Amino acid sequence: MHLQGRRVNDRAARVIAILWLLLLAGVVFAQPAEPELGHQLNPVKEPVPAPDFTLRDMDDRAYSIRDLRGSVVMLNFWATWCPPCRHEMPSLEALYRKFSGEAFTVIGINEWEDPDLVFAYMGDLSVFPTFPIVYDRDGDVSVAYGVKGLPTTYLLNRNGDIVYRAVGGRNFDHPEVEKTIRALLEERN
Amino acid sequence: MASKACHSTSPGSRGRKPSHIPVAGDNAFSASGEGGYVRKLLNRTAWFLLCVPLLVNSGEVVRKKNPDTGLLSWKVKESGLSIEFIQVLPDYVAAVYGSRDIPPAVLESMAGYCVFGTILKNESAQELTYRMADWRYVTRDGSEHRIKTKTEWVAEWKGRGVSYRWSLLPDDQVFEPGDWSQGFITFRLPPDSVFDLKFSWRYQGEEHTGTIRDMRCAPARPPGE
Repeated sequence: MHLQGRRVNDRAARVIAILWLLLLAGVVFAQPAEPELGHQLNPVKEPVPAPDFTLRDMDDRAYSIRDLRGSVVMLNFWATWCPPCRHEMPSLEALYRKFSGEAFTVIGINEWEDPDLVFAYMGDLSVFPTFPIVYDRDGDVSVAYGVKGLPTTYLLNRNGDIVYRAVGGRNFDHPEVEKTIRALLEERN
Repeated sequence: MASKACHSTSPGSRGRKPSHIPVAGDNAFSASGEGGYVRKLLNRTAWFLLCVPLLVNSGEVVRKKNPDTGLLSWKVKESGLSIEFIQVLPDYVAAVYGSRDIPPAVLESMAGYCVFGTILKNESAQELTYRMADWRYVTRDGSEHRIKTKTEWVAEWKGRGVSYRWSLLPDDQVFEPGDWSQGFITFRLPPDSVFDLKFSWRYQGEEHTGTIRDMRCAPARPPGE
């Protein structure tokens, strides 16, 4: 009995020792290149009307906030040189597809870059974005929205008011984000 | 609370090893009685699990060397803020600015500056702000310098006919929970220069400050070349 108990204790001690080593290895070696993406969208304290704009996509199709009134809109300011923009792009696409057929859209607003460069970049992504990408070549729209760094994302309600904001990369393909959008879709105009 | 428990026997030793972690000479493994040492081990493991995040989160500067590139980085987590500075080689800066149709004037203007990649994150559940105009770096001769802000860079580029205003860390930001930013920060110093960086941020209504000593600009050429 005593011997058996001792063996169990030895095994448990070994397991604990291995767990310690793994934990230490994790602490010492885990060094992500950039922060893991969270999913938090922060409510804007005092919702304000989203500044209107008209920007064009690669096919010269125009998009404006005025025309999107009645829909919930996610505006994502981004650029190809920005690693977290690349990181979050597949989750934006997933969200766009999940709400397809509903009054929700994602608009990617590329900052400053040439459409040819952006197109080549998009072909290089793990998931090709099918949501509209428009070009803010002189950066005026980002200034109007008070964007200081990329990526920055705004969520607009059906009235065209900015109601949520996220500065920095996010994983938008998350149940909490879907819940937020669903609630905005259910709001009356 | 937990922080106090982890550091209770070593006042003033913030970030040092907590007294509960077994060390050489500790008698943790010599407890007598059936299963006694396992219980103690579990107990101490639990303490360790509780204390490790606090060790990492203690405001200590963690300096690391990237084993692939040989480049250095410095990271601090304190009072809601996580901030990391990563050495950037001059060639990399040239590649970033040279490969995206950015006019050469932008890159030319950065000659003579040492560049770091910066990742700044609000890791708290409350608002956090920073203002780079308040930050200073102290060179080895003891003199204190302002950091050239993004606004100043953008104004300079505009003067050269360039409307570009990205890739640099914004001058000031209001970070809600989960918000973060990354971008270049520049110091008017030659490669390999060593300096101390004093930075500050506002959290829970109070101004907090931090210092990273002996930060080093990236070398002119990749380490080992």
